[in-house]
Amino acid sequence: MKLLPLVLKNLLRKKTRSLLTIGSIVLPLFVICILGTLLRALDADPSGGKGMYRLIVRHKVSITNWLPGAYDPKIRSLPGVVETLRMNWFGGSYIDQSAKNQFARFSTSDADRLMKVFDEAKIVEGSEADWVNDRSGLLVGGQLMKRFGWKLGQKVAFKGDIYPITLELTVRAVFSAADESGVYFHHQAVEEALPRVKGYVGWYWLKTDSLAASERVPKQIDAMFENSSYPTRSETEKEFQAMWVSMLGNVKLLVGSITTIIAIVILLIAANTMAMAARERVTEIAVLRVLGFSKEKILGLVLGESFALSLFGGLLGLGLFILILPGFREGLANSPMGSFAAGIKLFPEVLLLGFGVTLAVGLLAGLVPAIRSAARPITDGLRQVA
Amino acid sequence: MAEPLIRIENVVKQYTRDTQVLTVLDGLSLEVEKGDFVALMGPSGSGKTTLLNLIAGIDRPTSGRILVGADEVSAMSEGALARWRSENVGFIFQLYNLVPVLTAFENVELPLLLTRLSKAERKKQAETALAVVALSDRLDHYPRQLSGGQEQRVAIARAIATDPALLVADEPTGDLDSKSGEEILVLLERLHSEFGKTIVMVTHDPKAAARAHRLVHLDKGVLKEDVRAKGEKGEIGVAAAAAIAAGR
Repeated sequence: MKLLPLVLKNLLRKKTRSLLTIGSIVLPLFVICILGTLLRALDADPSGGKGMYRLIVRHKVSITNWLPGAYDPKIRSLPGVVETLRMNWFGGSYIDQSAKNQFARFSTSDADRLMKVFDEAKIVEGSEADWVNDRSGLLVGGQLMKRFGWKLGQKVAFKGDIYPITLELTVRAVFSAADESGVYFHHQAVEEALPRVKGYVGWYWLKTDSLAASERVPKQIDAMFENSSYPTRSETEKEFQAMWVSMLGNVKLLVGSITTIIAIVILLIAANTMAMAARERVTEIAVLRVLGFSKEKILGLVLGESFALSLFGGLLGLGLFILILPGFREGLANSPMGSFAAGIKLFPEVLLLGFGVTLAVGLLAGLVPAIRSAARPITDGLRQVA
Repeated sequence: MAEPLIRIENVVKQYTRDTQVLTVLDGLSLEVEKGDFVALMGPSGSGKTTLLNLIAGIDRPTSGRILVGADEVSAMSEGALARWRSENVGFIFQLYNLVPVLTAFENVELPLLLTRLSKAERKKQAETALAVVALSDRLDHYPRQLSGGQEQRVAIARAIATDPALLVADEPTGDLDSKSGEEILVLLERLHSEFGKTIVMVTHDPKAAARAHRLVHLDKGVLKEDVRAKGEKGEIGVAAAAAIAAGR
């Protein structure tokens, strides 16, 4: 610790170079943490564990193929199934197709069951009854209400694309949940406007009473409809989410590779700075050794400088990340990719990754210059004076 | 006759450059008494600086023994040698070699950081060393804010900060004007006479060598001449030093 002032003074010897190096650590580390958070968010469970008790039943071929709504009583009767919910993707558009007006629009045939299946969600404005009892009622996520400045009782029109109709709905209730980026309305409103779709649903959402049921029921359902005209594929909510992520391609590998490349670039920049710093001080290090500084102390001094450089950059980068993350999440929530925001939070493992990269850069960038400085014979170092 | 502080016994130092073996010191033997002030002279390549480095424990002989006090410097491990240097030797360089980002005080405090002294004790000792070289009013000055002579005085304060028995100086006036060089020589004399330091100084300058009490002349790695001043406190004198340096 007595040598810490010397380490810090050495760091400030070439202020511009040190600041540029620190800057070149801060920004990439910030990006690493953001990418790490996105990666982690893809695997996150925004339901806080409740999703382990929810299953999705969809057509075996594709989610775009409908299932009969008549499956409902059969599925509901299975032991371990507590609740079922028939869901549809309405899609369409609000005002126009521009990015700022994009959000998820779902219809359900069982409005009264929605809050039972998603029991972690809460109604924060209006009431569940207001929504359930109004066939043209709309249940809106809190984030979306804020984004569009809607009020209870406001009329909102959605123009369909899959369904060639325009629905005029009334905001009746607002819900709070991890993902507040969508709206829900009665599928009966769609069926009334377009009778040919009556009796079909996009997928079922089930709630089970145990983890054992969550494991058992999908197999039972798929076996039950295996030889029907509408075979099913049943899975947990987590597997369903993973299916969407897999549709993005091998996004994890891509993001992971970018993160690794950024880390290597930081390392090379920091290593270059340390190599220059050590090369400029060959004589000075020889003088320190003449004064009695051991090889180990020289190793510590150079490595200490490398760690200090890396820590300044790393901690600033992590601080910047912590500071900006809420705004990043807010921005994402208000974007067409709003549903991704649900999984975004400050993950301790991402902070650990950032800190780990910082320490690794400090160690690896300083190791070679430190070993060379310590190993160089004193007389060789002194000879560089002349 | 005072007891010898330094004993150099049949020391050979060779360097290998590519396939060529270069003998810099060739079976040199020498004793330096405690409290002596020795000037090492000789032409370039005669082995003066190599001998100084061996005495200071910053290089090792190819063969032979070097003892300083009871310690066999030539047989010590790297770690032990570093510790020994910090406690027993003060080194003064031609180009001062101060750390530019540290103040005069911090430069002098550097070797004290290796000791077990408390911060207050280190402060006291560094300030005392700077007072000895008359730089108490320059504690917070950085090397760039000092003249060459002042920088060398800070370097001397750094060399004496741990109160070593032995001071080795490699051309301490070589980079200074004559006035500053004279001040440094007066200071070295004072360290020798008042503080009893044993000083071994490499120099090309007969004026600097004249202040020593003993002059050792090396040539091609062997001892060519060893002249001691007459009288207890005598000096070699400029004329004698110049004659020896010229090989007459």
